[in-house]
Amino acid sequence: MEARHHHGDSAYAIDLSGVSVRYGARLALEDLSLTVETGRRVAVVGPNGAGKSTLFNLLAGVLSTDRGRVLIHGHRPERHVCIAYVTQSNQVDWNFPVSVRDVVMMGRVGEIGLLRRPSAADRQLVQDSLDRMEMTHLAQRQIGELSGGQKQRMFIARALAQQADLMLLDEPLSGLDLKSQDKIFSLLDTLSAQQVTLLFATHDLNLARERFERILLLNRRLVAYGPPDQVLTSENLAAAYGGHMQVLDTADGPVAIGDMGGHHEHGHDHGEAHG
Amino acid sequence: MNTATITGKRMVNWLLEPLAYAFMQRGFLAAIIVGLVCALVGCYIVLRGMAFFGDALAHAILPGLAAGYLVQGGAGGGLFWWALGAAVLSSLGIGALSRAANLKQDTSIGIIFAGMFALGIAMISTIRNYALDLAHFLFGNVLGVSAADLWLNAALAALVVLLIILLYKEFLVLSFDPLLASTLRLPARALEAVLLILIAVAIVVSLQTVGVALVVAMLVTPAATASLVSKRLPRMMALAVLIAAFSGVAGLYISYYANVASGAAIVLVCTAIFILVWAAQAVTRARARASYSASAANAD
Repeated sequence: MEARHHHGDSAYAIDLSGVSVRYGARLALEDLSLTVETGRRVAVVGPNGAGKSTLFNLLAGVLSTDRGRVLIHGHRPERHVCIAYVTQSNQVDWNFPVSVRDVVMMGRVGEIGLLRRPSAADRQLVQDSLDRMEMTHLAQRQIGELSGGQKQRMFIARALAQQADLMLLDEPLSGLDLKSQDKIFSLLDTLSAQQVTLLFATHDLNLARERFERILLLNRRLVAYGPPDQVLTSENLAAAYGGHMQVLDTADGPVAIGDMGGHHEHGHDHGEAHG
Repeated sequence: MNTATITGKRMVNWLLEPLAYAFMQRGFLAAIIVGLVCALVGCYIVLRGMAFFGDALAHAILPGLAAGYLVQGGAGGGLFWWALGAAVLSSLGIGALSRAANLKQDTSIGIIFAGMFALGIAMISTIRNYALDLAHFLFGNVLGVSAADLWLNAALAALVVLLIILLYKEFLVLSFDPLLASTLRLPARALEAVLLILIAVAIVVSLQTVGVALVVAMLVTPAATASLVSKRLPRMMALAVLIAAFSGVAGLYISYYANVASGAAIVLVCTAIFILVWAAQAVTRARARASYSASAANAD
């Protein structure tokens, strides 16, 4: 296994070339080539089924490509322990008998190694991660007693304890109120300052435009990657979302309006029923 | 002498009487060992939703027992290794079949479980004392535990406890969040295999005490009872062990005095404790809710 922080000469946190993934007969990702510099904060957007989760699974090294090559800091992702994957919070059992501190300590398990116990340094790192996520007062709580925002902050604290250089966040804000969202973004700002590369899947194009320096627009193929005003053009959005989205050109760039996520069939059906 | 001391003396005699017999002493020790091993392993079974797997594995052991019985002619401790072999083979077979045939895990569990159990019954039915021997395997015979069996069970129990402690943090991650386990590059396949073998060992250790048919209760019920009142895993494990060991001892007393089959008595005590804890919790919750709405009404 590759030692931490020995990332070779590659300037890129992520380097994909010609990547395709197939589930049975369906292509989930097709011929994707992309480089992302270390320390970038990237919003990953696209319609449902665009391959966002597939991309994250590839980058995390839990899924392999059918064709093409994935490099994280110049090495295959399976050789890294510095990749943290924060999934949607409905993917774990919230009745599980663990405290917040227990879950954050799980981020250290790979580094501690088999048959060994956490050292004082590990415990200190867990405490620091809890502090940074403002979770210390909740450390002894059973995880089911947390609010939605606190659950996401706990997982980000776990990613911090993992000392991740690449964080993959799969819709971490779904169902959170604006105040919790703001809190998470101010915490992400401090990570960006430390050269942690962040990929953040979201359905919210306005959020992507306002809060991220790069946007990756995906619809099984790479539609566009770059700064928001270059990516969110009417042409690109039409290519990604088809006819299900309206784009308004305003003074400060295009603003996307319309159904995003799971409901983009709705307007269509409605139109036909009355047509 | 007053009546209190007389009652006290009777109570002590009542408790001590079965202990005068060596086979009962061994039975009590065996029941405590079974409680310890099953409760610890059972916590992972409950948390990971593997109850069906545990039950299936217990039944899949039968052809191993039958083969050992046919080969050795029913001679003691050797049966144990045949049972362990059958359990390990079946548990690894279930995993391999799920992957190779692309079946859902509970489907492959069903296929292997029923097939192995039928094979076991077919083999035992060739023996003359068919009904008697089958009943022995299905329901156990705690009073037939020999000193050698006891030592073997104790050694295996020590091994299970040691592995559960040494691999605590790895099993915790694997059970709570398999995706994290794979991004931390933990050897998930190997850990899963170790856990399956631990379950197999727990089942085989329990065979003589509760038998094939009731092992799943020892694996699931104490751990489930503990999970109702535990917020952290170490506490859940400790409580589950206490409940299971107490049930083993209490069940044997009931078996001795009420002349009930020992395995059934032990399992019934486990079940009764579960119902009590669950009911107590339901009442406490209802009271808390009532006092909350009462105070809310007063505030208005």
